[in-house]
Amino acid sequence: MIYLFQLVNGIGLGMLYFLLAVGLSIIFGLLHFVNFAHGAFYLLGAYLVYDMTERGVNFWAGLLLAPVVVAGLAALTEAVLLRRIYHLPHTFHILVTVGLALMVQELVIILWGPVGGNVSPPDVLGGVFMLGDFIYPQYRLFVIGLTLVLAIGLWWLLEGTRLGAVVRAGSESTDMVSLLGIDIVRVNTAVFALGAGLAGLAGALAAPIRGVEPFMGVEALGIAFVVVVIGGMGSYTGALIAGLLVGIVQSVMATLWPEGARLMIYLGMGLVILTMPRGLLGRA
Amino acid sequence: MNRASLHFVLAALVAIALPLFMRSGTLASEVLIFAMAAAACNLLLGYTGLLSFGQGIFFGLGSYAAGLTLLHTSLPLGAALALATIAGAVAATGVGWLSIRRQGVYFVMLTLAFSQFFYFLAYTFKDVTGGDNGLLNIPRPAIGPFALGESWAYYAFVAVLFLLVFAALQRVASSTFGRTLLAIRDNEERARAIGFPVRLFKITAFAVSGAVTGLAGALHALLIGVAPLSSIEYHMSESILIMTIIGGSGNLFASVLGAGFYVIVSDLLSSIWPRWLLLLGGLLVVVALFMQKGLWGLLERLVEALQNGRKSPVEAPVRPESEGRSI
Repeated sequence: MIYLFQLVNGIGLGMLYFLLAVGLSIIFGLLHFVNFAHGAFYLLGAYLVYDMTERGVNFWAGLLLAPVVVAGLAALTEAVLLRRIYHLPHTFHILVTVGLALMVQELVIILWGPVGGNVSPPDVLGGVFMLGDFIYPQYRLFVIGLTLVLAIGLWWLLEGTRLGAVVRAGSESTDMVSLLGIDIVRVNTAVFALGAGLAGLAGALAAPIRGVEPFMGVEALGIAFVVVVIGGMGSYTGALIAGLLVGIVQSVMATLWPEGARLMIYLGMGLVILTMPRGLLGRA
Repeated sequence: MNRASLHFVLAALVAIALPLFMRSGTLASEVLIFAMAAAACNLLLGYTGLLSFGQGIFFGLGSYAAGLTLLHTSLPLGAALALATIAGAVAATGVGWLSIRRQGVYFVMLTLAFSQFFYFLAYTFKDVTGGDNGLLNIPRPAIGPFALGESWAYYAFVAVLFLLVFAALQRVASSTFGRTLLAIRDNEERARAIGFPVRLFKITAFAVSGAVTGLAGALHALLIGVAPLSSIEYHMSESILIMTIIGGSGNLFASVLGAGFYVIVSDLLSSIWPRWLLLLGGLLVVVALFMQKGLWGLLERLVEALQNGRKSPVEAPVRPESEGRSI
C-alpha cells in the first residue's frame, strides 16, 4: 500500500516536473534559447500564490493569477531584453539568464524574506480521499487531475492548433516561417510567455505541497535539466516520460531511503547518460 | 617581455600589493584562493570552450578532503592539500567524462545537474560531511618550520601557492596541449578530423581544472577553519563562474582581476546591503551584453587610451582569441 501511495505521489510530482520541463523544452525548441531563468519563473509562481493567500486572496484566484503574472513578466523580459540576444551564441543566453535568475532570487528575498513559508491548500481540498485502505490527500489528487488536463490541452495546442503548427514549423526553420508571412517575433514572445507561465503554474501548484523558500528555483532548474537531458530538448513526449520517471523514482526512493531520494534522481540521470548518451528517445 | 611573463608579473604584483592595501589578511587570502579557482574555471571556459557549472563540486570536495584529513588523521598539511588536489582531479575527471558525452547546451545542463548531485551527496552523508553545519574546527597546522596560525603568515603561504599554481596553469595554457585546447574551442570538428583525441583533451582539461579548484577549496577550508556545505552548493559554482566572466575569459590573469573584484566588492557591499547579489546579477547581464571581455577588456582599453595620449580613445580591436565563444 505504501508503494501505491508513493507511486501516486510520484505521478503527481512527475506531472509537476513535466510542466516545468516542457516549458523549458518548447522555449528551446522554437527559440533555440537556453533559459537558465526557468527556475526563477517557478520560484515566482510559488511566491505569488504564497503572497496572495497570505493576504487573504482566495487560493483559486491566486492559482489562476500567479501563472498569468509570471507569463506577463516573462513576455516583458523577452520583448525588452531577451529577443536582442537570440542571435548570440548560447553562452550569452546562459549568462544573461543566470544573471536574471540571481536578480529574481534576491528580489524574492527582499520582498518576502529569506526564510520562506507554507501555503495551505484550499479548504475544499484540505481533506483526504479514501478508497478502501487507500488514503490520499485530496489536494495532491487535484494536482494530478489538473496537470493531466493541462497536459492534454498542451498537446492539443501544440499538435492541433495553428499556433502549434507555427511553433513546430518554427522549430525547423524560423526564416521559412517568417517568409510565409507569420509574425515570428510575436509568436516567439507568446511561446516564451507560455513556457514561463507553465513554470509559474508548476511553482504555484507545488507551493501547498512543499512550501516556499527562496532557493527552490535552483532546485527546480536542476530537476528540469535532468528531465530534458533524459527526455530530450524540444520533445513533448520526452518531457512527459522523463518527468514521470523522475517523479516516480524520487517518490519510491523516499520510502526506501528518505535522505537519498533526491540524490537518486541525479544518480539515475548519470546512469542514463552512461548507457544512453542521447537520452531515452535518442534525439540529439 | 612576452604576454605570459607580463601576466605572471602582474599576478605577482597583485600578491605583493594586497598586503599593502588591505587590512585583513583573511580577505587578502580569500582573493588569491578564489583567483586560483577562477583561473582554473577559465582554463575550461576561455581555453577549451567548456562552460562548467560544476566548479563548486571540486571546490567543495577539496574542502572536505582537507578537512577530513586534518581532523581524522595525523598527516601533515602538505598531505592534506595533496589529497584535496587529487580529490578535485578525480571528481573532475568523472564529471568531465560523463558531461562531455553531450555537447553544447546539454553539456552545461549536465554540469549543473552534477553539481546538484554532489550537493545532495554531501547533504545526505551527514556523518562524513557534517551536513548543514559543515566540518567544524579544522586545524591549521604549521608547514615545516613555518607556523600559519596568524592570518598574514597564512596569506604568505597562500600567495606562494597561488603564484606556483598560476605559473603552472600558464605553462599548461601555452603548451602544445593548451594550444590544442584552443583549436578544439574554435573548431571541434576540425580538431577531431586532424586526429586529436578531443574527448581525452577535454577530460584532461577538466582534471587540471578540478585539481586546482580542489586545492583552492582546501586552502579556503583552512582559512575559515570550516568546510561548509555552502562550498559545494550551486551558488559556489555560480560564484566561481561569475568571477571568471567578470574578469574576462581571454587570459588567466583576467580571472585574478575577476576574483579580486568579486571578493572585495562582496566584502564591502555585503556589510552594507546583504542583498547585493541583486546588483551582481545585473552586472552579469551587463557584462554578457556589453563588456564581453570583462574587466580585462576594460583595462586594455584604458591602457590603450593612455598610450594614445591626447588622441581620442579607440575601441580595442576584438581579437578572436579573447572573445567569448560559443560552447
